[in-house]
Amino acid sequence: MNIAWRIVAVIIGGLFIYAGVIKVLDPVEFAGDIDNYKTLPWPIGVRLAFYLPWLEILCGLALITRVLYRGGVFILTMLMSVFIIATIVAKTRGLDISCGCFGHASQYLSFAWHLALDFLLLGGLLFLWRTRLPNDGALA
Amino acid sequence: MKSLLRQTAVLIGLALLPSIGQALYYRDKVSWQTPVAASEMLTLAQARGAADLIWIDARPEEEFERERVPGALLLNEDRWNELLPQVLAIWAPEKRVVVYCSSESCGSSREIAHRLRKEAGLTNVFILEGGWEAWKKEKP
Repeated sequence: MNIAWRIVAVIIGGLFIYAGVIKVLDPVEFAGDIDNYKTLPWPIGVRLAFYLPWLEILCGLALITRVLYRGGVFILTMLMSVFIIATIVAKTRGLDISCGCFGHASQYLSFAWHLALDFLLLGGLLFLWRTRLPNDGALA
Repeated sequence: MKSLLRQTAVLIGLALLPSIGQALYYRDKVSWQTPVAASEMLTLAQARGAADLIWIDARPEEEFERERVPGALLLNEDRWNELLPQVLAIWAPEKRVVVYCSSESCGSSREIAHRLRKEAGLTNVFILEGGWEAWKKEKP
């Protein structure tokens, strides 16, 4: 169980670090991806485009290093949930969106694949959420 | 619970530092109030009076086949690699590239213009204000 938990934490942490780095390299494009959801006004979306990738990277690192681990899992679970809801809402509104999650590499994925991957990540995060650390409760 | 909140707050706060730094670095390179800076837009009147324009249609292929700006070339995200060479073949530094999509609110013209500048290294790339809707409305 402990090994399974470590593997899941490293994979999910690594994925979020990768996703964050891709977006940090091109925040303008990520701002455009946020704007495509037509949910937030541009001035807010563009500021989030500079902030969220760094939050993803730090939370990914938290999962891998186990420093601030609970906070990292909590934030990523919240981000993932909001993202899944926003994706479904955008789809029902007929918006043709590129999530921008993994840069241009992800734009060729169908909506069903996007959603399946998102739920897989959310499932992994919930699995991590249920796992107790030996020094649970400690800041580091 | 207290530890979770503290960890969450620490991560949220830590992510602010690099994002503020990056935003400061990008402060003159990003349009903070509107998706596209005024200097990157071209009105229909400006486009009509200009010579040496290359029109790029960033809409889906079916819409392009139905009707388009005379002489426009199709270039969208779905077939970027396949269609880009035809644009590069006629591009010259003194020519202005004008990208349009369906309307003011669509994001594909912005994305294509961004990729033309960043990935293809083109200069003088503009977005048509109002998109295809504006062209249709003011068609002579």
